[in-house]
Amino acid sequence: MIEIHNITKAFDGNLVVTGVSETIQKGEIFTIIGPSGQGKTTLLRILGLLERPTSGEVLLDGISVTGLPASDPNRRRIGMVFQNPVVFKDSVFHNIAIGLRYRGLPKEEIRKKVLQKLHEIGLSGYEHRNATTLSGGEKQRVSLARVMVTGPDVLILDEPTANLDPVSTEVIEDLIRYYNRVYNTTVILSTHDMIQGQRLADRVAVMMNGRFVQSGTIFTIFTRPCSVDVAKFIGIGNIIPGTIIRNEEGLSVILTHGSLIHAIGTFPVGTKVKIAIRPEEITIHTGPDRFSSARNVIAGTIEKIMPIGIISRVSVKSGDLILSAQVTWQSVRELDLRPGDRVYLSFKVPSVHIMPDEP
Amino acid sequence: MNDLLAGCETAIRLILTADPEVLNITIRTLQITSSSVGISAIFAIPLGAVITFRNFYGKRLLISIIQTLYALPTVIVGLLCYMILSRSGPLGELKWLFTPYGMVFGQTILIIPIMTGLTIAALQGIDPGISDTIRSLGASHLQFLKTHLREARFAIMAAIIVGFSRAISEVGTAVMIGGNIKGHTRVLTTAISLQTSMGNFSLSLALGIILLAIALIINLFMSFLQNR
Amino acid sequence: MNGSFRMCIIVLVLGTILLVGGALAEKVESLGEHNADRLLIATTTSLDATNLLDLLEEKFKEQTGVTVEHVAVGTGQALEIAKNCDADIVMVHDRAAEDKFIDEGYGKDRRVFGYNYFLLVGPEQDPAHVTGLNGTAAFKAIKQAAATDPRVVFVSRGDNSGTHSREKLLWKKAGYDYAEVNASAWYREAGAGMGQTLTMTQELQGYTLTDSASWATYESNLSLVPLVGNDENFLNVYAVMRVNEEKCPDVNTDIAKRWINFMISDEVQDILSTYGVEKNGVPYFNPGRGSADVMGVTVEETSDKVA
Repeated sequence: MIEIHNITKAFDGNLVVTGVSETIQKGEIFTIIGPSGQGKTTLLRILGLLERPTSGEVLLDGISVTGLPASDPNRRRIGMVFQNPVVFKDSVFHNIAIGLRYRGLPKEEIRKKVLQKLHEIGLSGYEHRNATTLSGGEKQRVSLARVMVTGPDVLILDEPTANLDPVSTEVIEDLIRYYNRVYNTTVILSTHDMIQGQRLADRVAVMMNGRFVQSGTIFTIFTRPCSVDVAKFIGIGNIIPGTIIRNEEGLSVILTHGSLIHAIGTFPVGTKVKIAIRPEEITIHTGPDRFSSARNVIAGTIEKIMPIGIISRVSVKSGDLILSAQVTWQSVRELDLRPGDRVYLSFKVPSVHIMPDEP
Repeated sequence: MNDLLAGCETAIRLILTADPEVLNITIRTLQITSSSVGISAIFAIPLGAVITFRNFYGKRLLISIIQTLYALPTVIVGLLCYMILSRSGPLGELKWLFTPYGMVFGQTILIIPIMTGLTIAALQGIDPGISDTIRSLGASHLQFLKTHLREARFAIMAAIIVGFSRAISEVGTAVMIGGNIKGHTRVLTTAISLQTSMGNFSLSLALGIILLAIALIINLFMSFLQNR
Repeated sequence: MNGSFRMCIIVLVLGTILLVGGALAEKVESLGEHNADRLLIATTTSLDATNLLDLLEEKFKEQTGVTVEHVAVGTGQALEIAKNCDADIVMVHDRAAEDKFIDEGYGKDRRVFGYNYFLLVGPEQDPAHVTGLNGTAAFKAIKQAAATDPRVVFVSRGDNSGTHSREKLLWKKAGYDYAEVNASAWYREAGAGMGQTLTMTQELQGYTLTDSASWATYESNLSLVPLVGNDENFLNVYAVMRVNEEKCPDVNTDIAKRWINFMISDEVQDILSTYGVEKNGVPYFNPGRGSADVMGVTVEETSDKVA
């Protein structure tokens, strides 16, 4: 339904969006994740028709919308919500009604629609409140209602909850899902919070250096990041360089910092690779028994223990190799883990993910 | 200091007895000033909006020039307008010299830069997210401008108040173009100037107090309009 | 709702203001058009100070139905305004400037209608001891005293007015170079009208030259005293001229001529002979009728009707 054809955008000779092409289906929630400053906002502004691309075009149901004036009916099928909640210095009612006023709807109809939207976002009774007195979360709800009341086919949101507290974030996410489900609105959303991407998206694209480096379901990206950068972004803690030294039984054996690791895949011997192992999938043992099914075992010394929420990251050094394992607090206490302890790390073969070595 | 107290007394007396000459001068002051503010606003506010939202070569220079014109001495504006309105000048045919029409002409020219510049400042002070929101809601160009003006309405009203204040308080233009003719082009400021030069300080102060009282009433009215 | 209610109030208030303003506009004299029924005089502050012109303008209007108005500025500015064709009549008191105005072709039909005297006023203690001296001697005394006594200060109009011109002439007659006098430490150039100059003179407890009509108007506010006057050097002659229609085609020539004749008419001359006597003891302006000798002008200039 939305086709993006090779969009690029340069500011003062600086290429910010370096070539994005994608097709987004009607009714899809498409999420763009990636670190800040990689072109997400610029791309969304182009999709929202607030910026002109340097080259490329955007098609909505086959009609090119890139150069249309603001009041063109096709252009009006796209709505946008921004990271900073924006409200006019007016009543909440006036804020939500403004898009309808632009479209010249009669007063009675405007009133009906606005009150309905207020009910949907849970702010009934707020019509006469001065919108500038609302909290950030409330303002963002108003922003959302303001856009949705005009019935757009496409809703674009640029990091809509980045400035909000967790409770408000949840409310906004629920509303996005609600509108997507009830009105079948196509949603294009950007976020630097990968977990939010996981919660909301049908499909995800990772944007780095101005282009989509990987797109697919969230599951694919989580489990098979295509590059070191993507892996780092999605939070795989252990990314280590190594070389393939032999292949056996469909597995590759990799030499890394003096240790041998088995992983799924066949690569030519001698290939330089990077391997990624999720800390959650590494288990710590204090004694050399009980790791039956795990093919990979590495002995080392605990360097440091870092608590994160109710879990801890335990950093273990084996020669030059440092691996991070994720353990619950309870386990830390039960096993009485301390820095300097000698431990064994075990992890299964499928936990090791091989990626091409990039500079 | 005696003069100050005497001035207050005189002011009260003049107001309570509705002294006819003071009434005459005051009404004329209001007519001329409100006309020039009204006409200025009609030019300055749309002009400010157009300048703000268009990008053109030399825009920053233009805005700098407008701001520089805030400092135009009123007597220079008076002199320039005199030369324009004089019989021997380009608009002499209008015969506006030494008439209230000419004074409105002069005061309007005096305050247009201030009102334009402050309108631009008001509009530039709007959060850029607002502009994005307006555009993404599908506003036509006219709707775009109107929404911005509405969003900046408090600051624009402040601009109007500043314009009004400058117009009602200036002497140089009023005296050069109007001539301070009794019963015809004399306004509060020119009357104050005359009384001061004649040494009637308490009367001057009284007229000054009356002028400020008018400004106060106008301001209260404006803030009633702004009150939400 | 709430918004449109407030809109109504605003419209109501504005409408009321406009209506009241419009109605009261009747009280305020018409926002005059410069038409055949209006005469504009460019004149000096000394004539305006006594409100004599207001009185004469009223009378003229009663007789002819014509509205007469005047702008009171310095003599120099009054003549400039006339040269720009922005006035119909000029009434000033600087013979030399008037001559130049006429010679350059701008002025016609000059008539002399009245006179008074300049006065040298100063502090009661009179540190320069000018009392009893005649005009030029007084100026000499001031310059000489100022050399040694720091209390002696002279304040000048400094604005090309008739008074200023006379002052310059007197310095010259006293034998001094005006530029040198002007640059002296004891000489203050006010660059202002008579009222302000007198106020400044009072503050500085100095001396200044003033015309007697202005003095009569302002003296109650001042502690200065008149020290020298009524001397042929201090004669102050007022004349009226009309702007030449050849230079300024839009000028109201007919009405202007009537005004000039009005000024030298017996009626006005009678008014002059009594105007101000009650408050001042002597008229603010002595009638020019019959005083051609005193003023040093021809009889024709005081009494010949303009055709």
